[in-house]
Amino acid sequence: MGIIVKNLYKLFDDKKVLDDVSFSVQDGKTLGVVGFSGSGKSTLLKIISGLLYSDGGVIETTENTDIAMTFQYSALFDFLDVYHNIAFPLLERKEYRKKYNTKELKQIVKEKLALVGLEGIEDKFPSELSGGMQKRVGFARAIVTNPKTILYDEPTAGLDPVSSTLIEDYIVRLKNELNAACIVVTHQMSTITRACDDVILLYEGKIVYRGKTEEFLKADNPYTKQFISASLEGPMEIKSAI
Amino acid sequence: MFNFKETLTYSTINLLFDGMKDFLITLGNVGKDLTKTFYYVLRLRINLRATIEQSARFAVDSLPITLTIVGMTSAIISMQISPELAKQGAEGYIGMLSALVMVRELGCIMSGFAIISMIGSSFASELASMAVGEQISAMRVLKVDPIEYLVVPRFLAGVIMMPFVFIVSSFIGIVCAGVISHFTANLSTLNYINSLWQGLYIRDIMIALLKAAFFGGTISIISCSCGYSTRGGAKEVGIATTKAVVWSFLAIAVWDYIFAAIFYL
Repeated sequence: MGIIVKNLYKLFDDKKVLDDVSFSVQDGKTLGVVGFSGSGKSTLLKIISGLLYSDGGVIETTENTDIAMTFQYSALFDFLDVYHNIAFPLLERKEYRKKYNTKELKQIVKEKLALVGLEGIEDKFPSELSGGMQKRVGFARAIVTNPKTILYDEPTAGLDPVSSTLIEDYIVRLKNELNAACIVVTHQMSTITRACDDVILLYEGKIVYRGKTEEFLKADNPYTKQFISASLEGPMEIKSAI
Repeated sequence: MFNFKETLTYSTINLLFDGMKDFLITLGNVGKDLTKTFYYVLRLRINLRATIEQSARFAVDSLPITLTIVGMTSAIISMQISPELAKQGAEGYIGMLSALVMVRELGCIMSGFAIISMIGSSFASELASMAVGEQISAMRVLKVDPIEYLVVPRFLAGVIMMPFVFIVSSFIGIVCAGVISHFTANLSTLNYINSLWQGLYIRDIMIALLKAAFFGGTISIISCSCGYSTRGGAKEVGIATTKAVVWSFLAIAVWDYIFAAIFYL
């Protein structure tokens, strides 16, 4: 089923942050959400993940599965080591607490770490890891309950180009391994071209473009042209967006 | 042309209105978090390991500063009153007075102040840093309620450990007062201990223990709530910590008054 978003609205005070946003992402597909700062991208992810309430609209996902989310700056629990960070939902959630013994938990954590290309770092604390490694540990924590929807908030922000490429590869890998519906909020064109199947462009809370990634790059659309060329000239007023 | 919005009156009203709004929002947040905390406590959804960890932090880590503050305060008071009482021929009341002041008031309130500055501020800044670093959001996305995981253990640590802190600090306070009165009023240890019992009543001790538990819970919930509801960045972490300390001071002063009015009026 994936994820279906219908007629989503969100107001902050009297300002429409999301205005009639609708889209769907099928299992095994990744949707890239792009737009200038303040266009409503992160708000969209927060509503889908349940961190914010919407002021209207419907979100449908595959039943009885988790929605996972990775954060711009990883948001790892700095008082827990990598093992406890990844095992956190399995240790703390009622439905998992008695499901696995310590040996099984260790095995699950090991498997998830291997999925993101990290091994043998269970005893390390987040402060001992590089930015890219923290992101990957964040990925491992997000997928530990085998979610069918994964949301990535600026997954490559603050990373060097090589680390960004690595992260993009893992986004594709996790999608394939879990057959999950993924939504990636990003500013980076490389993330869109390497990791996303479809793209939507948001401007002032509205979808102004939607299409396949390859079409997005060569679309004859004034909004996409302005976004791709990073131009100040065009239908999108930068002043109102930032 | 006269513009009311540019007047000092308007600015003052606006400032008062903002202050009142902030007060009500904080009060609402504390009330909401306290209700959720009770919800988990009454359903015995308690993380025992975290509660023990926080209890150790609450009592053991804060003990040196608490004992220093209570000990020094009681020594200073004894230094002031012992020679005067001795001059009036009332040496026999020094122990009684020390016990009375320590058990009814100083032990509890001074421990509370020490705990606020040492533990309350650290609860608030810790949770505020987690909030601005999106760790609390991450916890919610992982479907673990931060109130259950972070606030409940800290609240219980406050309620359970504060009475112990009170007992130890009051004992140290009474001992310090005794030592000082020995040197400043030539009061023998035996006389001091004998007069001590005249000021110690089980009822006072029970009331003080109850008051300490209220103080501990209040400090914990206010500090956690101020930290938990922080939005923004480093500046807001600082503001939240200051707010937690100020509100905790005010709250325990109000509790102290309420306890005095109910039990001693």
